[in-house]
Amino acid sequence: MINISSLTKCFGKMRALDNLNLDIERGELLGLIGPNGAGKTTAIRIISCILKPDQGEVKVGGYDVLKNPLEIKGMIGYLPEEPNLYERFTAYDLLKYFGELYGVPSDYLDDRIEELLELVDMKSRARHQINTFSKGLRQRIGIARALIHDPEIIIFDEPTMGLDPATSLVIRDFIKSLKGDKTIILCTHYMDEADALCDRVAILNNGRILDLGTPKELKSKIEGDVILKVILNDKSRLNLTNFLNRPEIKNMSWKDNSLILALQSKKDIPFILKLIGTNIKSVNTEEPTLEDVFIQNVSDIQEN
Amino acid sequence: MGSWTITKWELKNTLNSKKFLFIFFFQLVVLLMMILFFNNFLAGLESEQEIALSPSLDQFASLGVYDPQNILTPQLNPQILELIPLDSEVEFKGLQNGEFTGKVFLSTDEIFQAEVIEPIPMQLYLDYQDPKRNVIREEVILAQDKSSSLISQIWINDLFPKDEISTPQIEEEVQGEDISLQIIRKLMTAILTFLPLFLFGNLIVDTIVGEKERKTGEMLIAMPLSRGNIILGKSMAVIITMAFQLALWMALMILAGFSLENPLVVYLIVVSTAIPMVGVTGIVASFAKNYKEAGIGITFAYIAIITFLIVPALAYISQPVEILSLSSMTLVIKIVSQDPLSRGDIILPFASIIFLSIIFYYSSIWLFKRDDILFGPRPGIIRLLLDFIGLNKILDFFNHKYKLYK
Repeated sequence: MINISSLTKCFGKMRALDNLNLDIERGELLGLIGPNGAGKTTAIRIISCILKPDQGEVKVGGYDVLKNPLEIKGMIGYLPEEPNLYERFTAYDLLKYFGELYGVPSDYLDDRIEELLELVDMKSRARHQINTFSKGLRQRIGIARALIHDPEIIIFDEPTMGLDPATSLVIRDFIKSLKGDKTIILCTHYMDEADALCDRVAILNNGRILDLGTPKELKSKIEGDVILKVILNDKSRLNLTNFLNRPEIKNMSWKDNSLILALQSKKDIPFILKLIGTNIKSVNTEEPTLEDVFIQNVSDIQEN
Repeated sequence: MGSWTITKWELKNTLNSKKFLFIFFFQLVVLLMMILFFNNFLAGLESEQEIALSPSLDQFASLGVYDPQNILTPQLNPQILELIPLDSEVEFKGLQNGEFTGKVFLSTDEIFQAEVIEPIPMQLYLDYQDPKRNVIREEVILAQDKSSSLISQIWINDLFPKDEISTPQIEEEVQGEDISLQIIRKLMTAILTFLPLFLFGNLIVDTIVGEKERKTGEMLIAMPLSRGNIILGKSMAVIITMAFQLALWMALMILAGFSLENPLVVYLIVVSTAIPMVGVTGIVASFAKNYKEAGIGITFAYIAIITFLIVPALAYISQPVEILSLSSMTLVIKIVSQDPLSRGDIILPFASIIFLSIIFYYSSIWLFKRDDILFGPRPGIIRLLLDFIGLNKILDFFNHKYKLYK
């Protein structure tokens, strides 16, 4: 659905995107994560035809961003990082304005507005002015605005940024409900959000993709499938030589009286526990998070 | 279609704004007051009376006058001075008890003994505790000059009877009104007609720079319509608002007694002038980062527009040359004055309007399309100008070649 090849974009002397390559499948929810200034917003602005690429090629639904920007814009629903809305407009007027700009047929537009206001639970506030809305309500209207023309592709730039946990949950559930029907790009700082929602995640830094894959693939690349945390009765009784050079163990470290082992697979747990024997006081398992993956990727780059 | 949607919503938004409506009608009231002021001013000029800088209140100050031969009295302005005839030149009582501020007397004997080129002899006494004395002094000196000229004329006529005087063959050729009156009547009428166009700079700034300041522009750019459509749509809304106010304004001018020949034609010319004007303010708004920058830019733009409109019009009044018809204000002056119009008089202003509109809207859209203008870092004006004329590409090419060579 979206094909990006050798994309480069500079702002003055600053290179925001550096030879970026990325393909996004139809119906996929792709997460873009990365530190501030990584190039996430620049990438989605180019896909949305808001910015023009300096080099490289970007195709959306077979259309080129430089040659057919209007066709592409019609396919995309875009929720910017700061969905600043026209303060004097009512929620209804705002949706009507953007509906008309997107060319939604007038005989269908009112029904569509009703439908979306219901979807984002804002029907009772339809005739209220935007300047009376909280940040969460503005975000809901922003989402309704992005969906007014029923786009094939939806781009969310930090949709839950600065929202309270309850509202964030509502927005995440809403994005989840769109999965499958639409091709979605989600830029986020929240790793748990990307982990929970995305089919694939691309980690961006300095305008380049550091890693790309499903959250599970990314996590297993650095730590394995599972982290085993074993609290020992007596640390000195443990024969560490048994654990060296074992293929099941990807990483091993100590924290106080606890032995922390990153294992290749959950299946290896019984074997490892057998090796430790009766010295075990308690056992706990946890899975690596995308945050670990992100920090590892970014810190590797910084070390290099 | 996209442009029209923007225009429609901009107009709706503008007309829904109470602040705008207040400003809109407040401007009309101020303009109306200006009409009344100019009407009075013109009436004063047409009455052939001297325009005095002193206060125009009736009989502002009182003056005792001893003028037995009635030489000075007819030249004193009774609208400004209350004239109190005195019986004798030694009467000072009224001046001392504050009945009048000044006293003037003329000695008849001395008048005709004096050289004719000298002012008539008179004595003026003023109450120096009364600030009105300055008005009296000014009026009396003016009347003295006039009386002296009159006496001189009589004296010359007596010396040289008319049939004996051999006068040079010089004839005064009068074409219409006096040039100063022409400037005031024609130019001021034209300026008043064009005035509403200068009241809407804030609207185009708000409509384009406001999108940047409120950060709503990014959403607008993401819509399936070209940047050209956005600029044209917004500009069209401002032109329609201007046209609406101009219609009300011209109606008020006519109701206030201004004689506007062919008001519909004048209206169309002024509205046409609004098109490039909005275009040039569009350039400023596209380039400006915020309201402050736009405000400075609009001031410079308006100075340039005023120069372009008024200078040829002024020059035309003193020297009617066809090229000066470039300014649409010149055309309005010609229509207001009922001057005969040549083909060039009509073609030139409209050609300049079309040419400038193309240049201004093209530049405005060109700027609005640039990523560096909207998202930074914004290039300098010289860099932009070089880019606009395509010189930067040539310079970059040679720069690249030079680097390769090195």
